[in-house]
Amino acid sequence: MIKPFLGLIVLIPALGFAGQAKESRDPNTGLLSWKIEEPGLGIQFIQMLPDYVSALYSSRGLPPELIKGMAKYCVFGTIVTNESDRQLSYRVADWRYVTPDGTSHKVKTKTEWLKEWQSMGVNYRWSILPDDQTFEAGDWSQGFTTIPLLPESTFDLIYSWTLNGKKNHGEIKNLRCAPAKPPIP
Amino acid sequence: MVRSKIFVVRRPNHQYRSRVLFAAVTLGLLLFAGTAAAQPVAPELGYKLSRLATPVQAPDFELKDMDDESHTLGNLRGKVVMLNFWATWCPPCRREMPSLEAVYQEFKSEPFVVIAVNEWETPEHVFPYIGQLAVFPSFPILFDRDGKVSQAYAVKGLPTTFLIDQKGMIIYRAVGGRDFNHPEVKKLIRELL
Repeated sequence: MIKPFLGLIVLIPALGFAGQAKESRDPNTGLLSWKIEEPGLGIQFIQMLPDYVSALYSSRGLPPELIKGMAKYCVFGTIVTNESDRQLSYRVADWRYVTPDGTSHKVKTKTEWLKEWQSMGVNYRWSILPDDQTFEAGDWSQGFTTIPLLPESTFDLIYSWTLNGKKNHGEIKNLRCAPAKPPIP
Repeated sequence: MVRSKIFVVRRPNHQYRSRVLFAAVTLGLLLFAGTAAAQPVAPELGYKLSRLATPVQAPDFELKDMDDESHTLGNLRGKVVMLNFWATWCPPCRREMPSLEAVYQEFKSEPFVVIAVNEWETPEHVFPYIGQLAVFPSFPILFDRDGKVSQAYAVKGLPTTFLIDQKGMIIYRAVGGRDFNHPEVKKLIRELL
């Protein structure tokens, strides 16, 4: 299980460098967000409360088993922005989250979610961050990134993107899942 | 997997379960805002639209509006069409709507139309939402309930907007929110008229 992670460690210097993640706490909610600015790429991860995520899906008329399935994941609102004047792309399938035991795991993709939902007879295909996108200058997108961890769990996220044909790589240390309840009532 | 030509651009660019639940989600409609998430720094609404490397014929469709009347893209041949895919839960969709209305009004006497295609939702979902907007959209809002039209246009995220010329060819595309009332966008529309 460690081998894929070690492989990524070897690749990191060859693929690019990590920008600094700026952690912010919302003064109204107490929830956290992280903003990273890399050459050409802006990326944000925002804690989402479990109840909010459940309400969002419930209000779309989606079935309880779908909502229960989502409840097993901690969810981050994710905004990916092309801040360059070149073509930029990303692929969620290349991203990894690393748990405190050092194990690297794949991030669940939108395609995987849709397949699961389709098996429930649900054709809803929005909300999750698209698997992959190619952005031109000025393009940006948002959606949910989902990690199968308990509330308040911590992990590192390894993300990658391709800018003008060159693959880059970054890491955010100590991302934290939202708490089960709002930190500020 | 065949890559859709719609995304090859030219270099150098029902029903709610309860009123309480609906109210909660309406308040939290800003996907990453409100009381349920930390406040993100939402990207600025830029104005760049990317020109497709090779114009592509816009897939035709027939969709219904809030009055259950059908609209087809084919019937708009001869007009420049700004085709916007959106949903009520999408914050940048909400942010850019006033600019869509503004540009729709500015070019009203020209062969130009804005069409907003709502994804997956119902008129019952959308009507109260647009009633809350600071600027009421007067352009047609159509309902792509099963998502087939967005799939035909290879739309991966919302909002995505296409600028289609009078011959029905997709010339420009924008992924993410934009300020469509920007002079540079209006210049592109004029060039197509």
